Amino acid sequence: MIGFVILAAVMIIGAIGVVTLREPVHAALSLVATLLTLAVTYITLQAHFLAAVQVIVYAGAIMVLFLFVIMLLNVGSDDSGTAKRSQLPGLRPAAYLVSLLAAAGIAATAFLDPRQLPTRELIDVALAGGGADRVGESLFSDFVLAFQLVGVLLLTGIIGAVGLVQRRAAGDRPHHDASEHRDRELTNV
Amino acid sequence: MVGTEYYVALSAVLFAIGAVGVLTRRSAILVFLSVELMLNAANLALVAYSRQWSAAGQAVAMSGQSAVFIILAVAAAEVAVGLGILVAIFRNRSSTDVDALSEVRY
Repeated sequence: MIGFVILAAVMIIGAIGVVTLREPVHAALSLVATLLTLAVTYITLQAHFLAAVQVIVYAGAIMVLFLFVIMLLNVGSDDSGTAKRSQLPGLRPAAYLVSLLAAAGIAATAFLDPRQLPTRELIDVALAGGGADRVGESLFSDFVLAFQLVGVLLLTGIIGAVGLVQRRAAGDRPHHDASEHRDRELTNV
Repeated sequence: MVGTEYYVALSAVLFAIGAVGVLTRRSAILVFLSVELMLNAANLALVAYSRQWSAAGQAVAMSGQSAVFIILAVAAAEVAVGLGILVAIFRNRSSTDVDALSEVRY
C-alpha cells in the first residue's frame, strides 16, 4: 500500500505539472516522469511486458518526438493565465468543476462497489507476470485482426505524416516566385 | 495487494487532470500532451481490470493487456499524424494557439 501511495503521489504531481507548467519543455518532461511512474505501476499489476513497452515506446519514442517538435518549432511559453483574448468566460472554473465531478463520480463508483481480488495463485496462473509470451499468445489468437489493422494504421500514419510535413516543401512554388520576381524586374526595367 | 478500486480512482484522477489540460491550455502542443495523459489514464484502468478478471481465465485476463498494447500502437500513429499537422499549421501561421485556429471548423 505504501508503494502504491508513493507511486500515485508522484504520478499526480507529474500530471499537474503537465497541465500547469508554462514552458512546453518542462510540461513534456513532467509527462515523461508520469509515464515512467506508470510503467512501475504496471509492474505492480503483473504486466511486465507492458511496462517495458511503456518505457521504450511512450517514454522513449513518443516523448522524444514531442520534444523534437517542441524544440523544432521553438514554441514560446504558454500564456494561458495572462492573455484572455477570445477565451470563453468562465471556461476555467467550468473545466475544473466538470473534471472534479467526473473523477469523484468514477472513484465513488469504484469504491462503493468493491470487488474481491482473486487469490495470488489465480492471478499468477492467468497472467503469469504478463510476459511477452502471454501477450503474444493473446494478440495472435483473439486479437489477430486488430493487430493486423494496427499495422495498416501505422503505415497510414507514417505516410500521412510524411505527406503533411512535405507538402509545403515540395510545393513551395519556386516557379511562381521566380516568375513574380521576373515580372517585377521587367516592370522595374 | 492493493485493490482494483484504488487503481481505478487513480486513473480517474489522471484522466480528469488531463481533461482540464485539454480544456484550458492554449498551445496546441500542450493540448496534445494532455491528450496523451488521458490515454495513459485509460490504459491504467485496463491493466488494473485485467488483473481483477484473473479468475475468469487466461484469455479473458490477457485481453485487457492486449488492448493496452493495441492502444499504444494507435497512440504512436496518432502522435505521428498529429505532430505532422501541428508542424504544417505552424509553418502557415507561425503559432499553434488553438484560440486563433477557429477557422479550422469551416
